[in-house]
Amino acid sequence: MKSDVKISGNQVQITRIFNAPRERVFAAWKTSDQVERWSGCKDSTKVEVQMDFRVGGTFTQKLHIRNVGEYTITGTYDEIVEPEKIVYHVNLGPATTQVAIQFIAQGNQTKVILTQVGFPDENLSRIVSEGTTESLDRLDQVLSGQVV
Amino acid sequence: MSPWLSPETLRIFNSAVNYCLDTATGRSIFNTVVNNQKKISSVFAALADPTRRRIMERLSGHGERRVTALARPFRISLPAISRHLHVLERARLIQRRRQGRIHFIRTRSAGIKEAQKWLMRCALEWDSRFDAIDVLLAEGERKEKKR
Repeated sequence: MKSDVKISGNQVQITRIFNAPRERVFAAWKTSDQVERWSGCKDSTKVEVQMDFRVGGTFTQKLHIRNVGEYTITGTYDEIVEPEKIVYHVNLGPATTQVAIQFIAQGNQTKVILTQVGFPDENLSRIVSEGTTESLDRLDQVLSGQVV
Repeated sequence: MSPWLSPETLRIFNSAVNYCLDTATGRSIFNTVVNNQKKISSVFAALADPTRRRIMERLSGHGERRVTALARPFRISLPAISRHLHVLERARLIQRRRQGRIHFIRTRSAGIKEAQKWLMRCALEWDSRFDAIDVLLAEGERKEKKR
């Protein structure tokens, strides 16, 4: 794992430095032909992206997954500040997950901080984090050590 | 300091490690996501309700509690409490023990573990997507140099 991962309570925060200027990194999120190049996962053979990249605009990503079939994700853009920030949310049945991506220029490099909130409610964070912080701190060690 | 999952911490940790090992050996992430989507959704839905969260808080650090004792501070009927308990039970957040007509409730971590694993999967997926962005950015650079 090349990214720095923090999991606490209801959120995942992933930080990564890319070797490209901020406008270029931001462009990778801006159009469907770019997003199709990197979105999906190890097991997806193809990703079809439709997106209306503006505040209030929606997007769908249809993933074709080996041995599983199709899996479609639908979301809405909540905030776009080019080339600094993108916020969107994705519906997963009763839960909504919100993703915020910050693009920070560092010379010729760009630091991307992605925060994904996995639960539908703020208050839940406290309840869950009481039980998870300790175990996930140790998980961090495992991830940075022998496993990955 | 009474985290209601603390007796389960080690088990959660083990399952997370197993999950990482599965991923490291190349087993499908998305198989798990699709199969567990319903389970995860039921956890989120169960915990989205403030009454059900308060029930979970009241169970925190108490071991077993009788349903009647659990229901006492709430201004809703016992059948209404019972319906909330059913939702939590289905989400595998609590378990019930019956002794004759008396029902005892305690927390169960299966549901929360599911949600945690889901968060871990999110992180791993983003990492591999970022790898793909790296490739994309490197390609762009090569093209520009050719021009």
